[in-house]
Amino acid sequence: MSEHKRYKLHWITAILEMVKTLKEAILPLVVLLFANGWRGSGNAPWYVEYWTFIVFGVLIIFLLISGIIKWVRFVYWFEDDELRIESGLFVKKKRYIPFDRIQSLDYTEGIFHRPFGLVKVKVETAGSSSSKQAEGELTAISKEAAKRVEIELAEAKKRKRNNVVIDEEEHMLEEGFIPQGHHEETPILTNIFTMTNKDLLILATTSGGIGVILSGVAIFASQFGDLIPYEWMYEEISAFIKFGVLIVAIAVFFGVLGVWLLSVAMTFLSNFNFNVTLGEEDIVITRGLLEKKRATVPLKRIQSIVVVENPLRKLFGYASVTIHSAGGGISDSSKINLFPLVKRKMVERYLLEVFPDMHVDEPANKLTVRGKPFYYRIDFLWMVPVIGALIYFFFPYGLFSLAIIPVIMALGMWQHRSAAFDISGNQLTMRFRGISLQTAYMMRKRIQSMEMKQSYFHRRKGVATIVASVKSGMGTYHATVQHMEVEKAEEIFDWYEKDRVPSAKQVTGNPVTE
Amino acid sequence: MRAQPANRISRKGLKVWRLYGIIQTSILTLLAIGIGVLVYIFEWPTWIYLIEVGVIVLFAYFIIALFPKIRWMRWRYEVRESEIELQHGLFIVKRTLIPMVRVQHVDTSQGPILRKYGLAEISISTAATVHTIPALVMGEADDMRNRISVLARVAEDDV
Repeated sequence: MSEHKRYKLHWITAILEMVKTLKEAILPLVVLLFANGWRGSGNAPWYVEYWTFIVFGVLIIFLLISGIIKWVRFVYWFEDDELRIESGLFVKKKRYIPFDRIQSLDYTEGIFHRPFGLVKVKVETAGSSSSKQAEGELTAISKEAAKRVEIELAEAKKRKRNNVVIDEEEHMLEEGFIPQGHHEETPILTNIFTMTNKDLLILATTSGGIGVILSGVAIFASQFGDLIPYEWMYEEISAFIKFGVLIVAIAVFFGVLGVWLLSVAMTFLSNFNFNVTLGEEDIVITRGLLEKKRATVPLKRIQSIVVVENPLRKLFGYASVTIHSAGGGISDSSKINLFPLVKRKMVERYLLEVFPDMHVDEPANKLTVRGKPFYYRIDFLWMVPVIGALIYFFFPYGLFSLAIIPVIMALGMWQHRSAAFDISGNQLTMRFRGISLQTAYMMRKRIQSMEMKQSYFHRRKGVATIVASVKSGMGTYHATVQHMEVEKAEEIFDWYEKDRVPSAKQVTGNPVTE
Repeated sequence: MRAQPANRISRKGLKVWRLYGIIQTSILTLLAIGIGVLVYIFEWPTWIYLIEVGVIVLFAYFIIALFPKIRWMRWRYEVRESEIELQHGLFIVKRTLIPMVRVQHVDTSQGPILRKYGLAEISISTAATVHTIPALVMGEADDMRNRISVLARVAEDDV
C-alpha cells in the first residue's frame, strides 16, 4: 500500500503553544519583574538596568521558536484503523491510537481558533486512567480536517462493528439505561435540550454567586485594618468618621458587586448557547461564546445521574442535572453538567428522552423517626465548645451564638426529611441533602462497591449509614444515605449482592473457629 | 440481621499492630523526653512532667493494648464466588461488599515488619475504590490474590 497522507496542524499552533507555556510561567515572571523592574538608578549601563526585560524578551523568542519547532515536527495520519501522531525534535514521540479505543472527540474553539475557522481536537480513550491529559491532542486543525478525523473514526468503527457484530450483541448488557438496539433505530442526532437566554441569565446570577460574594467579603474584611484610616479619623471630627466609614462601605459594596458581576459574566460566556443533542451512542454537549466547546459523552460510559436541587434555585422552580462519566477528564472535572439549569418539572421528561429505561420517579422510601436524632446530635460535639468559648470570651454578644442551635437542628431535620431511597429493578435511587438536595440514580452494575457503616450508637438504635461508590472520571462519587433503618440498609445490601448468581460458596480462607 | 463474614485475619496481625503501637509510643516518648529536658532547663512548672507521663501511659494503653485488640476482633473477610465482603472499623463498623465482576486488579504487598512475621496485605481495586485486607498469612494472601484474579477475570470490562 502506498504512503498514507500525512497531515500537519495549522501554523497558529506555534503561537498557541507559546501562549500556553507563557501562561504557566507568567506568575514567576511578573514577580521577577516587580522585584527588579524599576530600580534603575540611571548610572548603570542599559543592559543592567533592563535585564529583566531582556530576559523576558529572550524567553518569548525562545518560546516562539520552540512553538514553531513543535508545529513543524507534528504530523498525524490514519493507518491500519489507527490515528498516528508523530512529534518531537530530539526526542521523537510516536503515538498510535487505535480507533476502537477512542471514546470521544472533544472540540474546543478558542479565540485564536475562531478567526481562522479552526478547532482544537482532544482524543479521549478508555484507557487514559493514569494520565490527566487527553491521549491525543490536535492543537489547531481546520474544521474540514476535524470532519475528516470524525469520518475516519466512524468508518473504522463501522468496519469493526461488521466484523464483530455477534460479539457486540453479547456485549450489550441487559441492565443498561439504554435498551438493546436503541442506537440502530435512531441514526440521526436529536436535539434534547437548549438553554434559553433567560435561563442562562438565572444560572449566571445564581451560580456560585454566594460563595464568590462571601469570599469577596472575606478579602475585604481582611483588608479592613488597612483601609480604615484610624489615626486620621481620631484627629478629624465625627462627621468625617461617618464619611470615612461610608466610603469604605461603598468601596466594599462595589468590590463585591464587581466580583459577582465578573462571575456572572464568566458563567454567561462559558455556558452561552448550551445545547445537548443525543446521538447514536453518545451525548453531545456544546457551549460557550468566546471559547466554543463541544464535548462528547459516550452513553455507555455514564456511571450515574444526579439531580441537584439548590434551595435558592428551587425557589424559582429550577434544578440542575449532572452526570458522572468514566471518561478521562472529559470536561474540566469528572462531573459533567448535563442540564446546568432546567425547570424542575421538565427534568423527568428530558431525562427520559436521553435514558428511556430510567426510573425517574421520586424515591418512595423515606426514613422513619428512628434515625432522626443522629442528623443533628453529632453537631453538638463541635457546637458546644464553640458556643461555650464564644459566650465566655465575648460575654454579652456571645450569647447570640446560641441562635445557631435551632438553625443547625432545623437543617438536620430537613436533611432527615429529605433523605430517601428506592430500588426499582436494577436501579438504585438515593436522595440526600447537604444543603442542596441530591438525587442520585445509579445502575447496579455501575456501583463499584457498597459500604454499610454503623457506630456503637447506631447499633443500639438499629440504624446504619449506607454508601454507594460510583466511578467518576479518575475519582469516585459517593452517594450516601445516612442513619437509615438497618433493615432497609440490609435490603439495599442484599439487592446489591445479587449482582451475579447468588452462591454463598466458600472459596478461600480459614473459617473462624470459636 | 446479616451474618458476619466468616474469616478472621491472622492472629500475628495483632502482634504486628501492637508492634506499630510500640514504635509510635517510643516516638512519642522521645518527644516527651525532649520537652522534659526543656522543662528542666527553663525551670517550667513541674506538673508538666505529670501530664507527660499521663499522656504517654494513656496513649500506650490505647494504641498498644486496646485499639489493636478491637480492630482485630472486628476484622472479618469472606471471599465468595461472586463477591468479597469485608468488615472492619474501630468505633464505626464498616461492612463493604465488592462484587467480583467489579474487581479490576489485586495486589499483595509486604513491608519489612510484615515480612518478618510472614504476613502480607492484599489490596483489591475496583474502577473507583481500593480495599485492603491488612494482615494475611503470606501463602494465603498469594492464594487469595490468584483466586480473586481468576474469579474476576470472568467479568466483562465495561466500566
